[in-house]
Amino acid sequence: MTLIQELTKVCDAPVMGAPLTSIWQDILAQAVTGELMAAHNYAALAGICDDPEEMEEAREHAAGEEGHAAAFRAEGRKLGIDVQSNLEAKYWKRIRDAYMICVATRDVIGCLIVQELMLESFAVASYERVGRVGPGSLGRTFTAIAKEEEDHIGHALAILRNEREMDPAVFDEKVHELHNQVMTTLAEMLTSQDKNCQCEVCHGGCVKPVLPQVALSTTELRGASLNRYLKTLDLLGLPGEMTLEWVAQLPV
Amino acid sequence: MLRGVDRTALSEQDVKEILPWIPPRPICRVEVDSVTGTHAHGFYIDCFLPPDELETQYLLANLARVKDAASCAIRLGAKIVSLGGFSSILIEGNFAHLPSGGETAFTTGNTLTVSFIVRGIKRMCALERRDLADAKVLIIGATGDVGSGCARCLAPFVNRLLLRARNKERLSKLAAQLRRDGCPVDLAWDAESFDCAADIVICAASLPSPTFVLNGIVPDAIVCDAGYPKNLAPLSAPRAKVFHGGMGQVTGDLRLSPDLNGILNRHPLPNVAHGCLLEGMALVLEKRFEPFSQGRGFITREKVAEIERIADRHGICPAPLFNQAGPLEEPKARLLTRAVPKWGPERKETGPLRRVGVSGAR
Repeated sequence: MTLIQELTKVCDAPVMGAPLTSIWQDILAQAVTGELMAAHNYAALAGICDDPEEMEEAREHAAGEEGHAAAFRAEGRKLGIDVQSNLEAKYWKRIRDAYMICVATRDVIGCLIVQELMLESFAVASYERVGRVGPGSLGRTFTAIAKEEEDHIGHALAILRNEREMDPAVFDEKVHELHNQVMTTLAEMLTSQDKNCQCEVCHGGCVKPVLPQVALSTTELRGASLNRYLKTLDLLGLPGEMTLEWVAQLPV
Repeated sequence: MLRGVDRTALSEQDVKEILPWIPPRPICRVEVDSVTGTHAHGFYIDCFLPPDELETQYLLANLARVKDAASCAIRLGAKIVSLGGFSSILIEGNFAHLPSGGETAFTTGNTLTVSFIVRGIKRMCALERRDLADAKVLIIGATGDVGSGCARCLAPFVNRLLLRARNKERLSKLAAQLRRDGCPVDLAWDAESFDCAADIVICAASLPSPTFVLNGIVPDAIVCDAGYPKNLAPLSAPRAKVFHGGMGQVTGDLRLSPDLNGILNRHPLPNVAHGCLLEGMALVLEKRFEPFSQGRGFITREKVAEIERIADRHGICPAPLFNQAGPLEEPKARLLTRAVPKWGPERKETGPLRRVGVSGAR
């Protein structure tokens, strides 16, 4: 890296007070935890792929997610904070457990549904929103990673659409079962009523009530994630009236 | 209802927060039976327009939602799409915004709405023993598709038309047309009073909340709440006879699956729906898959008579008169025996659950 590049990098670091830094620390911690979990998920998926090409692709995705986690950590360093992660945190662990059941049964389609349909919808929508309000390179990093994650969804959709065509009822039932486990957990993470949840990722108190200080809110993050998720299900061809009923039953 | 009986109902605030994020989608299947024995089916597609975001500043975002809903109807293979409620109002002057859908025809449904409003006025006059020929009729929102259609249809039968709208140019043009036909017309483009008080008011202006007060009307005026939502309270005229205009009733059968009666249709009578939605159903039953009502300002007496004939043939009639407090006249005997929806007359159509949408039928 040239000196100019180094200087630009330093100068691009946003200047902010301690309370705001603390909020970004928690947002980054959630993002890093999510990315590391995705990396683990893809690594596990590689282990059950029969096709060498698919196996290689899963490994590439795992490396890509680790790269995203590293990029978020680097943004933390620019703010002078050490971004922690916690894959054992209660909500993330619950999602990871749901994914690992699919791995244990060598259910590649189940893995794709959880990771690509649900978690990536959540990630893309959340990162886009954070990218809009994140200062300087922090915002740009979220936006860029949102774009990369979106490409994953496009690739997986083609596979899932083919799978659904074979037996829509069985496919929809599988999505519904996984929805009940994974989307319910994600919705609980963003529930607005429990403003002091112990998610075991935030470094201090719960970040949710103070998100408006950085022009974010749980309402917006939850809404954008649901919107993205429903649109993805629509693209797969799941009946809109059915998926509406599913999301209507999520915790608020 | 969608949350099931085991879960706590969402608070009004929660609904307000979640609703705008839901992409347009079919929310129930609609089946309609004609009295002739023919049958049609389709879907009710909801745009999920946020009730607090209906003003001009949200126009582009709301148009995008209606466009998405229209695309959804095309994907479902609808032969005709009846725009309903606020989506109809948004699109009447913006038909070019709709996606081209091969064999899918779009209608605003405004012609049948006008028919039901005008017939409602006549019935209310009969009920209140008023002579329409002596009446001075005020139309608020007179240059809109529905308002101008009502003006053209009522002009031959009333003493005087008092037209109110914000667009001076369109208002003057409409007035000139009506005067040429021999109807005395007075104009106003703001909330100012007319020289004479109105005996009958048609409020065809759709507002998220009734921001104007009905001044300049006689104390016991007949008021037709023809806008969307039906939220017009006669603030300055507590003795006014208010009824919900533009509503029709299917005397064959109308079934929603899942049964969202009481949520989509908050009316104190069974099988009642907005005229705009019923126009699409009538056209489908008649196998006329055509954009019967398009654009703004093209509703003529002849077009109204034509859609009336079609709707009447299939048993789609003006709904018995009602308002927020309940029915104003006895419903038809045959329909009295049907299950009356669970909702009570105290429920208003102004809450966050209010839906607007596109109805597809194929």
